[in-house]
Amino acid sequence: MDPISTALKVAASGLHAQSERLRIVSENLANAQSTGSTPGADPYQRKTIAFAAEMDRQSGGDFVRITGIARDQAEFPVAFDPGHEAADANGYVKMPNVNTLIEMADMSEANRGYEANLQVIKQARDLITMTIDLMRNQS
Amino acid sequence: MKPVQLFDLAAAQARWLSVRQATVAGNVANANTPGFVAVDVEPFDKVLSRTTPAMVATDPRHIGAGAPSPIRKNEQVSDVPVKPSGNTVVLEEELMKAGEVRRAFELNTAIVKAFHRMVMSTAKG
Repeated sequence: MDPISTALKVAASGLHAQSERLRIVSENLANAQSTGSTPGADPYQRKTIAFAAEMDRQSGGDFVRITGIARDQAEFPVAFDPGHEAADANGYVKMPNVNTLIEMADMSEANRGYEANLQVIKQARDLITMTIDLMRNQS
Repeated sequence: MKPVQLFDLAAAQARWLSVRQATVAGNVANANTPGFVAVDVEPFDKVLSRTTPAMVATDPRHIGAGAPSPIRKNEQVSDVPVKPSGNTVVLEEELMKAGEVRRAFELNTAIVKAFHRMVMSTAKG
């Protein structure tokens, strides 16, 4: 296959991976305060995403594949709120194990990765245009 | 009169550049993949000096004959510290390489254009 279209496809797989990552970040941030609804119930558990490189034998490109979306096994922090519907017998509520700062850092890294992939796509398009321009009528 | 090899040379360089662009794309896409080692293509002069005799396709059922020899990729040796994830991609370096590819490709197409114009002016008189 034409290497430039391989480049386009690889960059597209990178875009897809980074946008899925951004989706996970937004889910985590949105549910940063989602507790359970019965006494002592577990709250929202933070999601994590993992990538792996996958070599495509036909084109020789290193594509990115999402290997799985898992749950963060870190302990839940507890807050003292006896009036809450999820409070246990001692008045403690389990809060989600989402750290807003970590999510923010993850978000800007996903953003940076997305931008870099976009840049590659733009350039691959320019290379194709330059090649096509060779065939244009030169007066 | 000796045959003019410039178009051949330019085509070989364009092919090498597009393989390099695909390699850069792979590195950038895997900038967040744990354990991924950045790769780069071998230099163009090495590709040129490698004299692999190409097989000739004399029958339509011949597979892989007449195809240009593949451009090898090897792991990039750089002194960047490996991240805890084992990933060795540096985005800035990759974008710089992309810039190099772009500049070389522009030069390449400009030369082909100019040469084509020269050929045409000879043909038209």
